[in-house]
Amino acid sequence: MISDYLESLARELDFDRSLSRSVRQEVEDHLWEAVAAEPSGNTLQAQQRAIANFGDAQAIAAQFAVVSLAKHTRRAGVAAVLVIAGDLIAMKARVAWYAAAQWGISDDMRALRGLVILIDRCAFWMSVIIGLGSLAYIFSREIPAAFYPAYRRQLRCFSLLCSATAAALLVSVISDGVLTALQLRGMEPSVEIWVAIFTMAVEIACVGFLVFHIRSNTQRAASTAALLKA
Amino acid sequence: MLKGHLDMIVLAALASGSAHGYAVIEEIKRRSGGAFDLPEGTIYPALHRLEQAGLLKSTWTTADSGRRRRVYTLTKTGNRALVERRAVWKQFSDAVGGLLAGSRPRETPA
Repeated sequence: MISDYLESLARELDFDRSLSRSVRQEVEDHLWEAVAAEPSGNTLQAQQRAIANFGDAQAIAAQFAVVSLAKHTRRAGVAAVLVIAGDLIAMKARVAWYAAAQWGISDDMRALRGLVILIDRCAFWMSVIIGLGSLAYIFSREIPAAFYPAYRRQLRCFSLLCSATAAALLVSVISDGVLTALQLRGMEPSVEIWVAIFTMAVEIACVGFLVFHIRSNTQRAASTAALLKA
Repeated sequence: MLKGHLDMIVLAALASGSAHGYAVIEEIKRRSGGAFDLPEGTIYPALHRLEQAGLLKSTWTTADSGRRRRVYTLTKTGNRALVERRAVWKQFSDAVGGLLAGSRPRETPA
């Protein structure tokens, strides 16, 4: 009987596999301890009572869904900052490589390069400011006991901040792509070129990772809302 | 009413030392004289939430029964939060107590 209840609780918590596993173990310990504490000695009745006292599996899963959502939302905030840091490292590594290889740029492209660098810097620092702001915002909010309307507003606001971070970072990466193309224009394919291409790939992967996090968090919020409605 | 103060109740139950979920519930029942009769399962999301907020930390141990057991402990932040919430509660309780002491129920004619 207890194993059936644990199965149904684990199924309800399927939206977060690691949470499902740990909660299952925790609840199993609770229920068997409750059975052991039952003075009647009737195991079947004791199991029934322990489960009844514990509460409806779906209602408990719904409360855990809010906790899980809050955990993943905070992770998305941290991911945004890590992605920006990863992007910066890739950018600096490429520039250092250009300096080490003493690669210059043709004079006719200098004006365009200057403009793209300006856009790149503005977009990148904007992503830093908004990214840090979104992290501070989500960590300064309390984790709610339920999916209150105020919490939904906080999530929407955070999602907007993260999207703005990703958009600014995307502009920065596109600018970097243009700068890399200008730098490599007319060069023969060589091992050195691949360093620049690799750092560009890292930057693109960083933005992709952030977009993936934002998207999965939005989906998680929607499934939490659906679980609470059910 | 009880739900609004669940976090404070859980923190208070852990103030005397580390405990696993079942022991926290038993402590709440014992110290409240059985007055708080909420579904036991609702304590666990609260424990997880408080851990995420940094007010509790947890470790996995093995119980005498051989089952895996998650034991929760109040952190320094949790202790501070409990002190603050206790003070707010005392203030609220004194205010309501004073208000009720100053009023008498209206007598109804026999």
